[in-house]
Amino acid sequence: MTRRAIYVSIFIGAAILVFGMATQGHPIPAIGIALLGLAWMVAHKRRIRWVASPAFAIFVVISAASIWGGIASWMALTCVMFSLAAWDLALFVQRLEMTSEPTDRKIMERTHFTQLGFVIGLSLLGVFAITLIRINLTFGGAVILALLGVWGISSLVYRLRRHEDDIDL
Amino acid sequence: MSRIALLAVLIYFIILTGVGTLNGTVLSLALPLVVYLLAGLWRGPEKLDLSAERILSSERVKPGEKVTVSLTVTNHGGALGEILIHDPLPVFLEVVEGSNDRLVRLPAHGSISWSYTLQGRRGFHLFHKLEVNAEDGFGLVVKRKSLPTSGQLVVLPPVARIRRIAIRPRQTRVYSGLIPAHQGGAGIEFFGLREYQAGDSPHHINWRASARQGNALFSNEYEQERVADVGIVLDGRSEVNYLKGNLSLFEDSVIAAMSVASALLSESNRVGLLIYGDRARWTSPGYGKRQRERILQSLAMARTGESQNFRSLFIPHRMFPANSQIIIISPLHADDLPVIAQLKVSGYQVMVISPDPVSFEASRLEDRKSLKLSARIARLEREIMLRRLRGFGIQVVNWNTSTPFEQAARTSLSRPVTFLRAMQSGRGGRG
Repeated sequence: MTRRAIYVSIFIGAAILVFGMATQGHPIPAIGIALLGLAWMVAHKRRIRWVASPAFAIFVVISAASIWGGIASWMALTCVMFSLAAWDLALFVQRLEMTSEPTDRKIMERTHFTQLGFVIGLSLLGVFAITLIRINLTFGGAVILALLGVWGISSLVYRLRRHEDDIDL
Repeated sequence: MSRIALLAVLIYFIILTGVGTLNGTVLSLALPLVVYLLAGLWRGPEKLDLSAERILSSERVKPGEKVTVSLTVTNHGGALGEILIHDPLPVFLEVVEGSNDRLVRLPAHGSISWSYTLQGRRGFHLFHKLEVNAEDGFGLVVKRKSLPTSGQLVVLPPVARIRRIAIRPRQTRVYSGLIPAHQGGAGIEFFGLREYQAGDSPHHINWRASARQGNALFSNEYEQERVADVGIVLDGRSEVNYLKGNLSLFEDSVIAAMSVASALLSESNRVGLLIYGDRARWTSPGYGKRQRERILQSLAMARTGESQNFRSLFIPHRMFPANSQIIIISPLHADDLPVIAQLKVSGYQVMVISPDPVSFEASRLEDRKSLKLSARIARLEREIMLRRLRGFGIQVVNWNTSTPFEQAARTSLSRPVTFLRAMQSGRGGRG
């Protein structure tokens, strides 16, 4: 199930961006994105593990860049969400494969999909809320906001890493 | 790059791009990634409070025999969503059935048990821990813990069944056994004649010799058979055991040592062992099954080491008494000859069983003329070295390891060296 979900996620993520770019009159980037999606799928099929992270990063960057290409914001956001899902599931599959006898495999898959669904649902809710709120910022205000964002993310990452460093070997 | 770092870099990129271009749509792209990070923190694993137990189906096995490892991990804390339990295996052991990894869910105060089967090479293998990796649902936060467990496995060396090893030490012990003692008395083999003494069995009277002398009776005397002291020296020097391409003769030497020890102990001899690897490891001499077990254990744990030559080899008489039999098992090096000859001079009866490194390596060489010539030269050099050893009165068995030791021992060790020499010279004469 998880394997199929990975292919579906990559396909939807790439297809939506290809569609957006093609309809906006950018056929060459659209072909490039399609090929990239195809390469990710092939790499996953051939179990080339390291491809998932760079592919995910590239899709996020392309999604951001495609907004200037004129595609709808929901398309870029969908691409980011499905790339995130594909990247996450690629690691999850790897973890599941680490055991030849995965007990509770179905329960684990179900739990994982629920969590992922929760993340995507919450993101959509957030995006929906953002579209409703309109604030006009000066450049200075935006910079302060950006610094606040960077600080927030940094402290979040720090907390996560500290949690991880609590190794008892 | 770790997963958290990748996410952080992408979020920074989106935020800075969005703010830099004052584009709120771009900023919104960071939202799924931020939520994902927050979920990782929220679902991060709690403190791991686990214990583990390991049970091995057998702690002492023959090579190739399978051992079932049963593991039980108990959770004394809260529920754990996904934990990967990995049982790190000692080198030279491999899993043949099941898996030494397991991804499980552990409810609060619950436990999980599973087993897998392994087999491995000769040696003493120690299991001392289980590694546990607990992750949040997204694999962002990983907590690792080592759970102490106990367990040891001894894979014993194989033993070739040898019926008899013909040795003739200069001195034997007082107990009766199977080694000719160079003394007249009760036995089977004819030893000599002596004048009849009261109490001699009439069956032992040599009537022909008595008739020739006319005025006295003569009795046959037989050679006494007793047990002997035997010291086995196993050469564990890496220099002589390891050949090109990391090929090793040491396993063959171990088989030979165990087989010889086993055969000699079964004939009630007193056998001791010296493994000469990184340092000298002694198994003091002893008799019987218990000694066989001790030697088996020592050989199971035998490793090669970096000792350079036999020069530092010192044999205390307490371990191997003077005039006893010494059996050296070594691929041999030309520098070892003086030391081995010195042992002979000191009064020991010396036998050398030498796994042949030239044949061993030559059988793995490419079929090239130059290599064949090199192998031939090496073989000649070795033959000269062995002849020199024989010249010192040392019995040498050049064992081509492609032949099972059982077979080599039957041909070269089951009869006294004098008999074998006579056989060889007879064959030579006919040829």
